[in-house]
Amino acid sequence: MRHNLVIVVLLVGLLLIVTAHSAMGQITINGGNPLLTVTTGIPGQEPAAVTNTTCSLRWRRENVITKITVSTVCPNQRFSLRVLATNVSHGIAAPEVPLTNGMPAANFITSIPTGNPRNKTCTLRYTASATFSQGNSVELGNDSYTVTYTIVQQ
Amino acid sequence: MPLSPKQRAIIILAAVLLATTGTTVPVRSQVFGIDAHTVTVQVAQITVVDLTVGAVGLNMTNGTIIAGQDMMTVQDQSSQLRWGTNSSGRKITASTSLAAPQFQLRLQAVNPTRGTAASEITLSSVPQDLLLNVGRTSGSCFLRYTGVALASQGVGTDNHVITFTVQAQ
Repeated sequence: MRHNLVIVVLLVGLLLIVTAHSAMGQITINGGNPLLTVTTGIPGQEPAAVTNTTCSLRWRRENVITKITVSTVCPNQRFSLRVLATNVSHGIAAPEVPLTNGMPAANFITSIPTGNPRNKTCTLRYTASATFSQGNSVELGNDSYTVTYTIVQQ
Repeated sequence: MPLSPKQRAIIILAAVLLATTGTTVPVRSQVFGIDAHTVTVQVAQITVVDLTVGAVGLNMTNGTIIAGQDMMTVQDQSSQLRWGTNSSGRKITASTSLAAPQFQLRLQAVNPTRGTAASEITLSSVPQDLLLNVGRTSGSCFLRYTGVALASQGVGTDNHVITFTVQAQ
């Protein structure tokens, strides 16, 4: 009886690990954690926005039509960050999404079809901007966004 | 210790469960996968200034002279100063490259869109306040130059290079 319990606990644990790992592997961000630095401005206007396209998203096919949403957490957000899916291999890119602290999940790529290929990709184009009135990181610190991408059934 | 038939059945059942669901069942209903990364936005200290007109000429001719008066003046308000700074507590000063001008050149900021104009200054090689309270703003103002000469000073030309500086207030 005791052996049975141990085996069941081990197998259930293994099942949870494999299942969780499998779900995490369904969508992957490549390119690490980007840093965008706003460095120039125009007199009488505003600082120039900065764009970064070093990261990409890869996800696996599913048996149903899916979409990818984006959400973010950025405590004490001071500046602005937007993201747009470009070079989308499958599905339809949503308009550029402004990322704000605590925002509800917003559509990022919709109508992702089923079927081959197994892996689908897009480029993440982040655009950071700030106004002169919003200050600078030396006085106020950086904005650190945790950006989460989720693939769900549409 | 060998496994009993019951234990073997449990293991087989769990293995079948793993094989059939391990790669397809999402963690939550309708969610197939999640990933996240950190994006950092850094804003450097940015301060920029420019002028809409590169050169200003103030000429005193017969038309600017009033008979019987020693002091003659001429004004120009054709140029604008534009700035942007994301640092707090800033002002804009002005100074001239000419340490000992023959004639007097005065300057005042007019109609600033941000900040507060200081009183009219007589330009010298020492920076003087032109605009106050321009921290974390972007704006513009007109520059009103006034050339002042006395008839007794005779004729001549002063060439000034005027420097505008955004600095801590």
